[in-house]
Amino acid sequence: MASAAARAALESLLRTRKLDTTLVGQDLPAIRLSPDRVLSTGAPALDSALGGGLPRGQVSEIAGPASSGRTALARALLASATGGGELAAIVDVFDRFDPAGAAGAGVCLDRLLWVRGESVWQDTPLALDPAWEPSRPGPRAARSRMGQAVNRAIKALSLVLSAGGFGLVVFDAADVPVRVLRQLPFTTWLRLQRAIEGSDTACVLLVREPIGRSPGGASVRLGSRTPAIRAVEQPADFHVRVQASRHPFVPGRPRVKPGRAGAAQWTGSPQARRFRGLAPLASVQCGIRTTSCELEFS
Amino acid sequence: MFACIWMTGWRDEVAAPQHALLEVAQRFSPRAAWIGRDTLVLDVAGLRRLFGEPCELGAELRRALADAGLETRIALAGTRTAARLLVRARAGLTITEAGDEAAALAALPITLLQHVLVPPQEAGQLPLDGTAAAPSPPSRFYRSSPVQEIVRPRRRSSGARSAAERAAAEWLATFRRWGLRTLGDLAALPPAELAARFGDAGPALQRLARGEDPEPLVPMAGDERFEETLPLDWPIEGLEPLSFVLARLFDPLCAQLDRRGRAAAVLHVELQLVTRECWARRLELPAPVNDPRTLRTLALLDLESSPPPAAIDAVTVRVDPTPARTLQFSLLERARPAPEQVATLTARLIALMGERRVGRPVLLDTHRPDAWRLEPFTGEDGHPAAPASEPSSGRPSGAALRRLRPPVPARVVVDAGRPAAVQVSGSDPIGGAVEQAAGPWRASGDWWAPGEAWDRDEWDVALDGGTVCRLVRDRRQDRWYLDGLYD
Repeated sequence: MASAAARAALESLLRTRKLDTTLVGQDLPAIRLSPDRVLSTGAPALDSALGGGLPRGQVSEIAGPASSGRTALARALLASATGGGELAAIVDVFDRFDPAGAAGAGVCLDRLLWVRGESVWQDTPLALDPAWEPSRPGPRAARSRMGQAVNRAIKALSLVLSAGGFGLVVFDAADVPVRVLRQLPFTTWLRLQRAIEGSDTACVLLVREPIGRSPGGASVRLGSRTPAIRAVEQPADFHVRVQASRHPFVPGRPRVKPGRAGAAQWTGSPQARRFRGLAPLASVQCGIRTTSCELEFS
Repeated sequence: MFACIWMTGWRDEVAAPQHALLEVAQRFSPRAAWIGRDTLVLDVAGLRRLFGEPCELGAELRRALADAGLETRIALAGTRTAARLLVRARAGLTITEAGDEAAALAALPITLLQHVLVPPQEAGQLPLDGTAAAPSPPSRFYRSSPVQEIVRPRRRSSGARSAAERAAAEWLATFRRWGLRTLGDLAALPPAELAARFGDAGPALQRLARGEDPEPLVPMAGDERFEETLPLDWPIEGLEPLSFVLARLFDPLCAQLDRRGRAAAVLHVELQLVTRECWARRLELPAPVNDPRTLRTLALLDLESSPPPAAIDAVTVRVDPTPARTLQFSLLERARPAPEQVATLTARLIALMGERRVGRPVLLDTHRPDAWRLEPFTGEDGHPAAPASEPSSGRPSGAALRRLRPPVPARVVVDAGRPAAVQVSGSDPIGGAVEQAAGPWRASGDWWAPGEAWDRDEWDVALDGGTVCRLVRDRRQDRWYLDGLYD
C-alpha cells in the first residue's frame, strides 16, 4: 500500500514537471501524444513506434553511424514540416546539406532557413594532392576549427530555438566526433530543451551516438543492415550519346543545356539508376521504453 | 468617414496656418488633400478605435486645432462632398453619420454647390443672379463634365476655370428659375429629366446634391523623407553607447513612419567619424519594419559585424519608406514568427556565422552539381501548404547525400575501369574495398564559359565498412574526389 502511494506521489510529481513521458510499467498503456503535439516522420512504422511522431517542445535525436539513413530521415522530417506549411530550420554544423536533394525529397525550400557552418573535414589535413595541401590547416588548427565550428553552431541553434515560430529545427552534427560533442557542458542540451519547452517546435539532433535527448524527447537509433545498398543497378552496355549542348550557342537557336547524367545521356540501359536507398533498423527510445522497427528509404 | 476643415480666419498673406493645419491633421490621419488654400479634407476612416465615436473624434480634432491657434470649422460626414458642403453651411463642429448625408444636405441652400463646382481658388465670387455670367455654348460645358472639374481643380488652366465658373453660374441660375432653393429640391428631381436637359452634368449635379463623391479621395503625396540626425557633444567609441544614441533616433523616426502609415524597407546608417570620414551602412530589410527596437537591433548587429574604424562624431539614420504591412492571420495554420522577429534572427545569425552563411536556399537553373544560392529568409512564401493527410507509402523518399564542400581528394584503385578500392585520409579515415559500384554517370557543362567548365564522372560505391559514398573523377584533371556520403 505504501509503495503504491509512493508511486502515485512520484507520478504526480513527474506530471507536474512534465516528465510523465518517462513513466513505464506493466499497467501503463503506451503513450500516444495528441496529433498536434507531434511531428510526423513520414514513415508510418516509425510514427507508430514513436507514438505518433517526434514530440514537439522537446529535443529528440537521430543517431547512427555513417550511411545509416540519419540524413534521409531528417530530410523526411523537413519535408513533413514544410509540406504542412510550417517553417523549418537546419543548423548545418559542417555545411553538408544538399538543397537539390532536399527539394527532390519534397522539402519546400522557401520555408527552410539554412544556417551553414564552417566546412571542416575531420581533424587532420589530407596530403594526397601537393597542390592542395598548403590550403589545408594542420591537425591542431583543424581540431581547433572543429571545436569553434561546433560552438558557433550551438549558439546558432540556441538563437533559432529562442526565436520561436519554427515547426522543426534540425541540428546536423552527424559528422561531429562524439568526443567533441561530449566536451560541451552537460547543461547545453538542457538549456536547449528549456528554450522550446511548451512550444510547437520539435528539435532534432543528428548525431553519431545518443547524447542530448530531453526527458520527453525520443531517440531514434539507426543501424545498417547488410547489405547496406539496395537496388544499385548497373548501367550495362552504355555508350555516350552525342550531346546537343556540344554545339556552340547560336543566337536564335534554342540553347540546350548539357544534360545531367542519367537517361538523357545514356542509352541502352533504361533501368540504369543510381544508388537508391538504405534499409536501416530503427531502435526507438521514448522515456526508457525501447521498440524497434524497420525503415526503408527508396 | 471624412473630415473637412475650413480655416475661416485665414488670410492670404499668412502662409504659416496651412502648415500648422496640415501638421495637426496628420496627427490624426496621413490621408489628406487640400481643397483650395483654406480647406483640407481628411480621411478619418478607421480611427474609431483610437478616438472613439465621430463626435469624440471631431471634438478631439477641434481641440487640437484650437490649441494650434487656428480658427476653423469642421464637418464630419460619410462622403467628402457632404463634408465640404456642410462645413460651408454650418459653423463649429458638424457631424453627420454615414448614410445620412442626403438628409443632412436637403435643407441647405443650393448655392452652396458653387463650392464644389468651381475650382477652390475662385470659390466664393460667383455671380449668382444669372445675369452677369455669359454662359458658354452647352457643348463646351458637357465636354468638360463637372465631375472632372471637381476632381482635378488645380491642374486646370485659367480658361478652364472661367468655363467652370460660367457653367456653374448658368446651372445655378437655371435652378433658380426653376424655383429650386435647396439641395433637397435638386436631389428630388427625376434624374432622367435632368439628363435630358443638362446631359451628363445633370445626374452628376444631382449626385453632388445628395452628397455623393464623384471619385475617391486622392491624398496628396507628403514629404516622404524620413531621416534623423544627432550630432554628439563628445565622440563615442564602442557599440554600447551607440545603442542609446540609436534609440533616441529611432523612436521619433518610427513614430513619424507610423503616423504616415509607412514602414522601413531599407535602413541607412551614416556615422560621421572623428577622422572626417563617413561610415555608411545600408541594410535591406526582408520585410517592412517600423518597430524602433527591431531597427536598433538590426543596426547594432550590422555595425557589430562591420564596426567603424574610429570614434563617432554624429549619427544619421535614414529609411526608405514603403507602405506598412497588414497581416491577416489564419486560424487554420500554425502561427509563424513576425517578419520583425525573422529579420532580427537572421541578422543575429549573420553576425554569428558570417555573410552568405544564413538564408533560404534557391536552386539555380543549371546542371552543375551543387548549384544553389542563398537568399534572405523572410519566413513568408506564396505556396499553399500541402494536404496534411496525404497518404504515405511508408518510405521516406530517396537516400540523402551529404556533400563535402569542397570535395575531398581521394585515392582510388581502378580495376577494369571501375573503382576497386578507395582511401580518404583523415582522423577517421574512410576507405576500403569497393563491394558494389554503380556508374559512371558522366556530366559536363559550362564549357562555353572560360574558367567555369566542368566535366566529371560520378560513381556510387558501397565500401566493405558499410559506408556508401559518391566518388567523382574530374576528367579535366584526371583526379578522384570524394563528393559526398550517402546517409
